[in-house]
Formats: sequence, structure tokens, C-alpha cells
Amino acid sequence: MKRRWLLLGAFSGAVLALGGGSLALVRPGLRDGKLTESGRDVFGGAARGLLDGTARADEIAPLFARIDTLVTGLPQHAQGELSQLLALLESAPGRRGFAGLARPWTEASVPEIQDALQSMRVSSVSLRQQAYQALHDIVGAAYFSDEAAWAFLDYPGPKAI
Amino acid sequence: MSSLPDPVRDGLKRGWRVNGGPYAKAPARIVCDVVVVGSGAGAGITADLLTQAGLDVVIVEEGPLKSSADFRQHESDAYPSLYQESAARKTADKAINILQGRCVGGSTTVNWTSSFRTPVETLEYWRANYKLEGFDNDTLAPYFTQAERRLNIATWLEPPNENNDLLRRGAAKLGIPAAAIARNVKGCWNLGSCGMGCPTNAKQSMLVTTIPAALDRGATLLVETRADRFDIANGKVHGLRCVSVRPNGAAVTGSESTIVARHYVLAAGAINSPAVLLRSEAPDPHGCLGRRTFLHPVVLSAAVLEQKVAGWQGAPQSIYTDHFLHTEPIDGRMGFKLEAPPLHPVIFASTVAGFGRTQARALKQFAHTHVLLALLRDGFHPHSEGGEVKLRGDGSPSLDYPLNDYVMEGGRRALLAMAEIQFAAGAREVLPVHELASPYTSWPQARDAIHGLPMKPLLTKVVSAHVMGGCAFAGEERLGVARPDGVHWQLDNLSIHDGSLFPTSIGANPQLSIYGITNRLAQALAKRLTGRDVILA
Repeated sequence: MKRRWLLLGAFSGAVLALGGGSLALVRPGLRDGKLTESGRDVFGGAARGLLDGTARADEIAPLFARIDTLVTGLPQHAQGELSQLLALLESAPGRRGFAGLARPWTEASVPEIQDALQSMRVSSVSLRQQAYQALHDIVGAAYFSDEAAWAFLDYPGPKAI
Repeated sequence: MSSLPDPVRDGLKRGWRVNGGPYAKAPARIVCDVVVVGSGAGAGITADLLTQAGLDVVIVEEGPLKSSADFRQHESDAYPSLYQESAARKTADKAINILQGRCVGGSTTVNWTSSFRTPVETLEYWRANYKLEGFDNDTLAPYFTQAERRLNIATWLEPPNENNDLLRRGAAKLGIPAAAIARNVKGCWNLGSCGMGCPTNAKQSMLVTTIPAALDRGATLLVETRADRFDIANGKVHGLRCVSVRPNGAAVTGSESTIVARHYVLAAGAINSPAVLLRSEAPDPHGCLGRRTFLHPVVLSAAVLEQKVAGWQGAPQSIYTDHFLHTEPIDGRMGFKLEAPPLHPVIFASTVAGFGRTQARALKQFAHTHVLLALLRDGFHPHSEGGEVKLRGDGSPSLDYPLNDYVMEGGRRALLAMAEIQFAAGAREVLPVHELASPYTSWPQARDAIHGLPMKPLLTKVVSAHVMGGCAFAGEERLGVARPDGVHWQLDNLSIHDGSLFPTSIGANPQLSIYGITNRLAQALAKRLTGRDVILA
């Protein structure tokens, strides 16, 4: 997949340059349109924070396959950007400097992840806001695309015809 | 899966000529009278009329051919297969999510059926500012009437669903006039699944009306095929180069084909039409191409009611108010139209702001949630120049649409107006869809809070389902890309027949504007090419 680091802008470029840029380059978030282990780590952690109060712990891992399906439908430019974003968020300098998360996504507590999500959500740096919204929208779409999640919403599903 | 008859599958059995995707590969070279790029509102009307005139027409559609038997009313099927970029197309700064169809029938296959003629004040503005003589209500009326008859457009007389009736009741309490919306449906089952493809074929989209008519008359449809670029030389188009695409739009290597026609009609929608011309390096002496692209930027307000609303159920968008389009001059502060959209799990969960237990609380109240949206009327003020379509390195289009202070001031007034109506309708709480808002339990509390919200992109949730402009038509060459008859100012055998022609936004859901105006343009084109008179009937 073509990597266009310039798209991520000066802020993330600086974060990557400080240490970890080369690491992120070899650890993309997507490979052949599917989440890599790095990508799963980021989405797994983000989903724990985002869906706290909605999803059970055992409902997080099944999200990965649904995210893969969703990502497969995205055009190549969007897949490329998402892959870079996940690489940035997973790398230690990106996680600390960009997401504001001290511990890895797999180890951080729900409150720690939620603090990081909130700091990105209301950041004055638009790229951090975009990152939050990408995680928010993809996790929400993946979770609620499954019929099993509809009971939480009291949504009966479509009428049979 | 629907067990009802499927007119598209029946047509395929009758021998419709369809190539690309799962059907026979398209020949490397096709020769025809007219090639129509796209299969949405403008393309469908054009193909219907040109085949009536006896012309050999080829229709090129980037998306797949899906029909009622495929429409399961599931968002997880519909968004990847029927929408541009899986319904996640975004502006360059990712501040606006754009819903646009990408399938046979285009956006008409997935829209919510709202049908309005082009407002008189919009036409007046076009005549005054874009020299579009003859674009007045009386001249256009027969073309609208024909489109309304062809697509069964009529005021929806069934009682509105609760989501819409709350708009009616709230507005009435405040003395704000609201009315029923006309819809293009025939025998509608009132399911509320219009956005996922109509499973009963009640919606009179291009998928079940004009495109089948054209195919029955011998037109050829290429699906999962992208119009890449025109070959242009000496002020004429000499061919259209196409490429097969995968479901996510990636080109299939070695799948190129060329279509050679007497005349070319571009109707790919108001992001992709300018993009085809940009990729083609079409002449643009006045720098109009791709500029002034409008979105009707939409802001949203959610409310929780004591009673169940079930916003997924029943005809979406059956009540509207234009009150806030008329409180200011058209070129004054930004006006807006209010409607009540359908609610389904994926779109709701990804649109409602917040996360964790706060969002869980909002989601838990989904069945009691009512949502209003405000379509901001862009393009009528010097500070509302819309966006610009540009090309990425891979040739795909990107829309740069800055949400400036002028637009966002309109957004703030819209959030205020919606909250006041929702409280008047009996809302227990109102949540403006904004990252810094919280649920407010009274109108004074909401009013004070909304006045204090920073109306910034990426904090304020902004979406759009109406893309217009970028290839404006105008009565003077310096003002537009196309002439008033839709023919490209510099390329005499190329016409543009879609919403990209509009020099401003419409100020109403645009499908009927596209039907009516392209009906007029296509009748004139048929006459020019064949000498025959045809009408939409």
C-alpha cells in the first residue's frame, strides 16, 4: 500500500520523527485491507473506551472482523490514511505524543483510554480530532451493524416483507 | 430478502444489455450515438428521452446493479454497496460526511424521496447573477409537471410518523408554518427503509423507471465501470475512456475500454462530474470548473421524548418548514430548511456525539429519540462560495469545503431554532449534535448553552446528502462551465445533465430540480441530434 506520510501533516510528522517513524513504517495498521495486529491493538483499546457501558468485554474481539469488512469497502485513499493513522497511534511516540496515552492500548485502563479519546476529541489540532472521529465512527458502525447489538437500542430490525 | 417481483431481474431475463461487474465483460471499443456517464437523476431522465428519440445510448455507471431482491433493509449491506465510499465520503478536512449514491439509479436509489420544485427565489437569483434567461417558474413548469407525472410525485397524504409529526406539532405551537412533503412513490409500504434501497419498488427512483425504460428500448448499461477521462482535441470530445472497478472503486488492471459517440452527456453527480473533466484536462478558461460546489451543510438536533418515537419506522421526511428560509433576504444571513430524517442504528451511533457511558445513555434512548436536521442554503452570499473539487494523486476527487464563520453562524441559528421547536413539541431533553454540547432539559438552558458553543468544524457535526455545482451553467461564458442548454461552453459535443449544473445550492432537496431541468435540457438535445420531439411521459 502506498504510504503518503505528508497527508498526516507536520504535527504527526514531527511526532514520528522524534522516534518511532521507522517503526511505524514497518508496522502499518492495515495489510491487504485488513487490520494488522497493530491495528487490532488500537481498535481493541479504543473500542473498550468508546463502547464502555454499551458492549460487554467479550463483544470487543468480534468487532475486528466487522471492521475488516467495513474497511474493505473503503476506497484506497481512505484505507491508506487509516493505515497510517493506526500505525501512528500504535507506535509508542505516537501513542504518547498524539493520542496522549501513556500505556499501550492493550494494557491501558478504560479511564486512561477515555482520557486519551477525550483529549483528541476536543483538541485544537484538527488531525487529533479527525483521529478521534475515525475511531468513534468506525467502532460505532461496526458494533451496531450487527443485529445482536440492536436490542440495546430497542430497535426491532426491519419489517419482513 | 424481498419476495416481491423484481423488475430489474425480470428485465435481465428479458435480455437487457448489461456489461461489466458480474455480467459479460464490456468490449474494448464501443460505438454508439450518445454515452451517458452516470445513472442517477439527470442520467436516467436523459437516457429515457434520448432512447425515445431513437438514439443508441450507452450508460456508464461506477456502482453495481442492485435491485429490490437485494435490498434487505440492512445498513451493513446498503452502505458499502449503494453509496460512494461506503457512505463515509468526507470533505478534505473530514469535517463533513457526504451521503451520495453509487449504484444504478445513483442517489435516487437511496434518497428519502423528498420532492420540491426549484424555489422561485433560487431561479430569480440565477437569472440575475448567472444570466439564465428562461429559467423561470412558468417556463419550467411543464418540465416539472412531466417529471412529477412520470415519477408519481405527489404530496404524501398518509399521517406522518411520530418523528415528523413532532416537527409539525412543535412548529405549530410556535406559530411556524409547516407542510407535507411531496414524495416520488407509488404504493409506498411506509417502511422507512428508503435509504437502504426500496425493497418494494414503491420508490420511483431511476432504478425502476427511466433506466428500465431505456434498457427496454435497447440501451446498453455498463456497471462497475468508471468513466475515467474524455479524449479531447480541437474543441471536441473524441472518446470516453472507461475502466472496470472493484467494489471499493479500485481499478481493475487491463480492463480499459473506449466508447466513441456522436455526443457525450456527463451526469455523474456534483463531485464526480467535475472530476471527470479535471482528469480530462478539459478547457476551463475562466477557472469555473470544480469551483462553487455546494452541499446544503446539515446540522442536527436530537431530542428525547416521553413517548416512543421509533424514528426508523414510516416515511422519512414527510413534514418540512421553510420558515427560516424566508426570515432573511436570500443573500443575507444563511437561511435553512428543517426536516426530520429517518433513524437507523449505524447512522445514529456514528453521528451522535460522545462515547462511553454518556453515549450509552443516548443510545439507550434511541427508540424515544426524535431528530431534526437543518439544510443550510449555501451559495447566495459573497461569504458562501462553497467548496472546490480537486484531484488526489491517484485521480480520485476530493472536495475542499471550508466551513467558515458565515456558514457556522447559520448553523448556530439552526441549532437554536430546532431546539426551540423540539421543546415546544414536548421534548424532555434536547441534545444539539456537537462535541461540546450536553443534553439540556429546558429551552432557556439550551438557548444559553447553544449561544456559548464554539461553532467550529469537527466540533459541530455537519453532514450532507445534497451535492450541487462545480460545473455551473450560465448565460455568459465567463460565469460557467456549461451554456444554459447544458452544452459545455468549449466542447460542443459534450453536455452536462446533473446537479453539478446548479450555480448555487437549491435551497430544497434537489432531486426534482434535477429531474425538471434535465428534462428540459434532454428534450432539446434529442431535438438537436434527431430532429424529433420527445417528452417525458
